[in-house]
Amino acid sequence: MTSKVYIRLLFCMLLWAWGCQCAMAQDNSDEKPLRPVATMFSAQYGHASILDSYLSPVKYGGKAMALNYEAQQATGFAPQQWTRQLSLGVDYDYTHNKAGNHSMHALLINAQWGLMHKWNHVFTRGLQFQLGGNTQLRGGALYNAYNSNNVVSARIFWNVGLMGQAIFNTHIKRLPITLRYQASMPVAGVFFSPDYDEAYYEIYLGNHDNLAHFGWWGNRFDLDHMLSADLHLGNTILRIAYRNRISSSWINHISTRDMAHYLVIGIGGEFLNIGAKRNKKLNNNIISSIYQ
Amino acid sequence: MKRLVNILILVISLLQLPGCHEQPDWKNDPYGNFDALWTILDEHYCFFAYKNVDWQEVRNRYRSKIHKDITTHELFDLCSDMLKELQDGHTNLISSFDVSRYWIWEKYPINYDERLIDEHYLHFDYRKASGIKYQILSNHFAYMYYGDFSTGIGDGNLDVILNDIAPSDGLIIDVRNNGGGYLTNVETLVARFIDQRIYAGSIQHKNGTGHNDFSEPFDYHIDPAKGRVHYNKPIVVLTNRGSFSATNNFVSIMKSLPNVTVVGDVTGGGCGLPFNSELPNGWSVRFSAAPITGPDGKLTEFGVEPDVKVDMAPNDISNGHDTILDYAFEILKQAK
Repeated sequence: MTSKVYIRLLFCMLLWAWGCQCAMAQDNSDEKPLRPVATMFSAQYGHASILDSYLSPVKYGGKAMALNYEAQQATGFAPQQWTRQLSLGVDYDYTHNKAGNHSMHALLINAQWGLMHKWNHVFTRGLQFQLGGNTQLRGGALYNAYNSNNVVSARIFWNVGLMGQAIFNTHIKRLPITLRYQASMPVAGVFFSPDYDEAYYEIYLGNHDNLAHFGWWGNRFDLDHMLSADLHLGNTILRIAYRNRISSSWINHISTRDMAHYLVIGIGGEFLNIGAKRNKKLNNNIISSIYQ
Repeated sequence: MKRLVNILILVISLLQLPGCHEQPDWKNDPYGNFDALWTILDEHYCFFAYKNVDWQEVRNRYRSKIHKDITTHELFDLCSDMLKELQDGHTNLISSFDVSRYWIWEKYPINYDERLIDEHYLHFDYRKASGIKYQILSNHFAYMYYGDFSTGIGDGNLDVILNDIAPSDGLIIDVRNNGGGYLTNVETLVARFIDQRIYAGSIQHKNGTGHNDFSEPFDYHIDPAKGRVHYNKPIVVLTNRGSFSATNNFVSIMKSLPNVTVVGDVTGGGCGLPFNSELPNGWSVRFSAAPITGPDGKLTEFGVEPDVKVDMAPNDISNGHDTILDYAFEILKQAK
């Protein structure tokens, strides 16, 4: 067979798979509820303080900036009881020492996926609790331009932890508003750290001993939490929030303590995929992961 | 309820654990800055035992000289004098107005005159690539001058250089007054003069705050540059006291090769990989943090002895001759 035949065959298979997907969606339309994805893009700005004794014994302070994408959706199984959340973000800090003559850059990328159980209308109507677990991969580096062989401190951390949120859907006059407090706290994981005064040059030469460490509350503590108000402006949701990020570790006599406070401005909404939008006309039950 | 309280206390206690590590918060005053400097060196400097320095005694001696009216410049000079007790060219205090230094080469003959070589040997006719000045001289020996290991060496540039000097009968690599730079450039250069993997030395690092807290030595090797141009004729490496740090490392490795002779003065030393830190007032301090041995397993903190010790003679200089370079020619002639 020629390559053209292969391409046609592949195209037909894709078309068939798509058709099946649509058919399944339609077949189940009167059984399965619709699960819109609550997405939010946010820009964050605030103040950061950084201490990394591998780079300097002096605390640095300065600007904190971040971009974040968050998507939350009721799960396919037991959608009334469970919700899942995906969060992708990048944090950048530009800081200086107290004397103001040295600067430090910190760039960290974060990916987090979590699954939470929901409790609706707890204590009062509109109040919802979600609690569950998550896994997070966080990686990046701190760069102190003034240093020589300890110019960079790499941060790589994979963990599993707890996450939860308290959500209260209410109105201010006729404006629907969702108040939310969410927190994510790693419990255990694996993280990277060089030895006390080990240069990255030695790692480059091939000495990879004692670089990966088991992380637990005895040697590191991280907390990322946010208090937000989501204003429902038609189909668009505007988020105003305060976020606080804390990270602390103590390994190989190296101490790290980072903290950042952010003002968060976000924009998002609830979206259905194309197939689900068609089904919406059939008046399916819609289960939102956050909003009610 | 009591159980819940107990669990909460346990969780809160666990969360306090990472915060248990006390990080000193020195005051930004003369005593605070002095204590910060002394402590940074005390916890990180790697040659206290090797140099038999009683750092506690040094602290007592210098701290007693601080008084409440001490000026910034006086404090800097006092701290600089304290660092000089370590006799380490890699240990500097850096402020906005001065850099303290223990540069041993300032006390020895210069043993290098760039203008003399350019005028009387190269006749101002040479090529330069990747920071390497090179030419085949009229006596059919090639001459390379590499003055800074911070200047990156491109593999393509090295191919061109070594191709150009391939017809020569021997090579002189002049690293006098080369104050060091990147150790990766040492590897790049050495890899062109070997035809099999060589043992280059070992590196250690401090794994704790104690003066004798060190990791096990990690042996490292250098492999020949695969698919690249090599030079395997007799080589003479020229050194002086200004051949420091990465250059010192380069000389110690080259000296171990069978076709290489080191001629000139003892190198400036500096075998500790330097780290940087800082004081509350913004002064920076650089210090040796990780000792690196040569292929003979010895530390070369006080320099590498040349195979042939030669100083430049004043009469030769006035006659347009570099005594060390001339001696190198004699060695290469005998090796032909």
